[in-house]
Amino acid sequence: MSLLKIRNLRVEFGSKAHPFPAVDGLDFEIDRGELVGIVGESGSGKSVTMMALMGLIDAPGRVTADELVFDGHDLLKLSPNQRRKIVGKDISMIFQDALTSLNPSYTVGFQIKESLKVHLGLRGAELEKRALELLELVEIPAAKSRLDAYPHQLSGGMNQRVMIAVAIACNPKLLIADEPTTALDVTIQAQIMDLLGRLQQEHNMGLIMITHDLAVIAEMASRICVMYAGQVVEQAPVAGLFDAPRHPYTQALLAAIPEHSKGANRLSALPGIVPGHYDRPKGCLLSPRCRYAQDRCRSERPALLDGVRCFTPLNAEGNPTHG
Amino acid sequence: MTTQTQALETVPSYPSPLKEFWQSFSHNKGAVVALSLFLVTVCCALFAGWLAPHDPIEQYREHMLTPPSWADGGMSTYLLGTDELGRDILSRLIYGARISLFIAFMSVIMSFIPGVVLGLLAAFYQKHLSPVIMRLMDIMLALPSILLAICIITILGPGLVNTMIAIAIGTLPSYTRLTRAAAMAEINKEYVTASRVAGAGTLRLMFLTVLPNCMAPLIVNATLGFSSAILEVAALGFLGLGVQPPTAEWGTMLSAARDYIERAPWVVTMPGLTILVTVLSINLMGDGLRDALDPKLKRAA
Amino acid sequence: MANDLLVARDLTRHYEVSRGFLKGHAVVKALNGVSFTLRAKQTLAVVGESGCGKSTLARQLTMIEPATAGVLNIEGVDVARADAATVKAMRAKVQMVFQNPYASLNPRKTIQSTLDEPLYINTALSAGERRDKIDAIVAKVGLRPEHVRRYPHMFSGGQRQRIAIARAMILNPRIVVADEPVSALDVSIQAQILNLFMDLQDEFETGYVFISHNLSVVEHVADDLLVMYLGAAVEYGEKSTIYARPLHPYTQALMSATPAIREEDRRIKIKITGELPSPLNPPSGCSFHKRCPYAVERCKQEVPQLREIDGRQVACHRVEEINA
Repeated sequence: MSLLKIRNLRVEFGSKAHPFPAVDGLDFEIDRGELVGIVGESGSGKSVTMMALMGLIDAPGRVTADELVFDGHDLLKLSPNQRRKIVGKDISMIFQDALTSLNPSYTVGFQIKESLKVHLGLRGAELEKRALELLELVEIPAAKSRLDAYPHQLSGGMNQRVMIAVAIACNPKLLIADEPTTALDVTIQAQIMDLLGRLQQEHNMGLIMITHDLAVIAEMASRICVMYAGQVVEQAPVAGLFDAPRHPYTQALLAAIPEHSKGANRLSALPGIVPGHYDRPKGCLLSPRCRYAQDRCRSERPALLDGVRCFTPLNAEGNPTHG
Repeated sequence: MTTQTQALETVPSYPSPLKEFWQSFSHNKGAVVALSLFLVTVCCALFAGWLAPHDPIEQYREHMLTPPSWADGGMSTYLLGTDELGRDILSRLIYGARISLFIAFMSVIMSFIPGVVLGLLAAFYQKHLSPVIMRLMDIMLALPSILLAICIITILGPGLVNTMIAIAIGTLPSYTRLTRAAAMAEINKEYVTASRVAGAGTLRLMFLTVLPNCMAPLIVNATLGFSSAILEVAALGFLGLGVQPPTAEWGTMLSAARDYIERAPWVVTMPGLTILVTVLSINLMGDGLRDALDPKLKRAA
Repeated sequence: MANDLLVARDLTRHYEVSRGFLKGHAVVKALNGVSFTLRAKQTLAVVGESGCGKSTLARQLTMIEPATAGVLNIEGVDVARADAATVKAMRAKVQMVFQNPYASLNPRKTIQSTLDEPLYINTALSAGERRDKIDAIVAKVGLRPEHVRRYPHMFSGGQRQRIAIARAMILNPRIVVADEPVSALDVSIQAQILNLFMDLQDEFETGYVFISHNLSVVEHVADDLLVMYLGAAVEYGEKSTIYARPLHPYTQALMSATPAIREEDRRIKIKITGELPSPLNPPSGCSFHKRCPYAVERCKQEVPQLREIDGRQVACHRVEEINA
């Protein structure tokens, strides 16, 4: 049984008459011990998906799904109390900007202990010991003195480690990392990536890594989901996806990366922008920008078939097939 | 040129900032009602000569202390009754609006402009001017505004202009502090650096680049300052330090009517209610303004 | 040299920071003797992480702050410690594109007003002539001229960056300093904006100083590369030379830390531990010695100077031994 199973997740904002589907029919699954990457640009709905999962979408947002099951619990049917027992303990999340995600008025030690107190009921000496252990686990030097430091006294990289410590404090089964390294310098990014990979393997956690940086995913994940405008457009194992992308958006994304244009004078750029609230196409959401778009693409929405959402998925040579 | 051949980008059409503001503001029904009441008051002030049924200082000695028209003994000629000298209360209230609004408006202007300028100077010259200016403001804030006003009027003497000066001095520090705080937050933003790189000098940076982005809290403060100025005018009038009789002013009307609270309660109630409704409507308007300006600020940022 | 747009020699910038009441001042050595040359139609990429001094360098090049020491020659005129009149005259020659497209445009001004400002301050053109110039540059960056009456919040990130580029180019500057211009943009928009940069450079023969931490973007756009660490240059030379064979341990570490999609592009990871040191309290000797896997006693005591090795300049005592 999968650790997390999502079928047809839909998150809407705006008025009932003219809703804006930030997430538009998402299917997703992950098991313990798996590292899956969710890749997408702004407006793809990747962060909103995870917030919906954690129950962080408030009215006027509306969350609906055919299935939203975590570890046997139906997340749609939980009361807030029941949800609080799971979120923060079995499912945990780390965010992009550690400095704003940590409470600036409390010490780092206090924030780690908070999680331990509430979810595991630890007290006194045991609490102190576990908090120190966690800081050492995330490789913070001079951990003992850092327990009394405030977030603004630590660097970006260290704050990110603290956030990871808070997230894994209760040994979660699933860890969601939302752009964890985007705000960090590249050498610190490498250290954090190593740390996350190591922790994931040691604790056999499921790790969902959300990012727009394809290279980070390529080095860490085993499977990738590519999202565009609220939908999953392609899902595949990492190697397969990068060698032979099957969705035109994945192909365009890979082509736009400077690495892929070594020696070329100009980068291959996908024209146009992601559809927003007012300009959602009737047919396939990529059709206004897709170079292979045909009439069928502009009038009908393709379903996710065999890991690709396209009427003419690309073959191994990168050319569109027919159906 | 490859980028030229790409389709020129489209931008979805948005309403103008004024329209957007009105849409947010009108969501708050209370604020819209308050705005209409305030506009009524403004009309009274502007068109007092046409609206008031009688001359405000004319004394009708045969009809002293006449009750309002709906009570026994009331007359329709004096809709809200007359005061102890036989003057029509309604006319006095309408003309009084002119005084109150005028003084309040002028005192807000007289504190807004120097306050904002001092605040901008403090923000732009943090090392040298800021400590001096802010300590001066601290000293002014240490004195309660009414006491300060009383002191100033005692020195300068009562009257219209001196009332304005007294109130203005009391509220000036709040504008300076607000402006300084808002300007300091904006100064380090990239668009200010961009203007510097474009060659903007300090004056241009202060007034054309930074100040427009600080306006939201200042406008709200000015609106609320307006209402508290009205209260202060009334308070000073009540104490006999503001506008002098026989000019109709809401505060002096209250003061003169103190002795008649039991015999002729309407002489006190009418000006009191007027002050209450006016101040309340301005405050509600100010709240609505704050709510309408904030989301736009967030979106614009 | 006749074609040199910009020559920087030993450019230094120190800040005095108050440590509090009665505690005196500390000196932040943000920039410590950086030298480089920029020619027309050329791009110099400045690469480094937080605290390396690249933002300070940007402020020096755009004459927002005077230098503490050193020479900064823009088309023959030394602006390092120039008076206000000289700076004003030189303004039109150096312009800047900022990192955050959401913060670099004044939210209270229409696009037209934002683009008009540099023209109004620096030229004597009439309102009509300015309007023509604005329409021309807006079309060149790929937007419609009628959109200039709108406000920044009505545009997407990529479009705002186009506007920022239009503002930088409207005075037809000789040099444009681009401070992380595509870091805040999505990959597909990044490609559009980088292409725009290169098209404009071809047309106007502008020299770019391109500051970035993204080594793959830098590889694509740069002609020369300057790697900085804690205010000083550690490696400087032609991009192709350095990318083919980086010599300084820090450059090697940066390149190895950059994740790559293709297996063949990945380099062996050089593990450098620890955090970036604070410019308030820089390490003695070579500023990289605390994190360098090859550091020896000499590195702790002596500051290495830039010297010419293998077609580029490197500041490292042990560069020959490490790369033998």
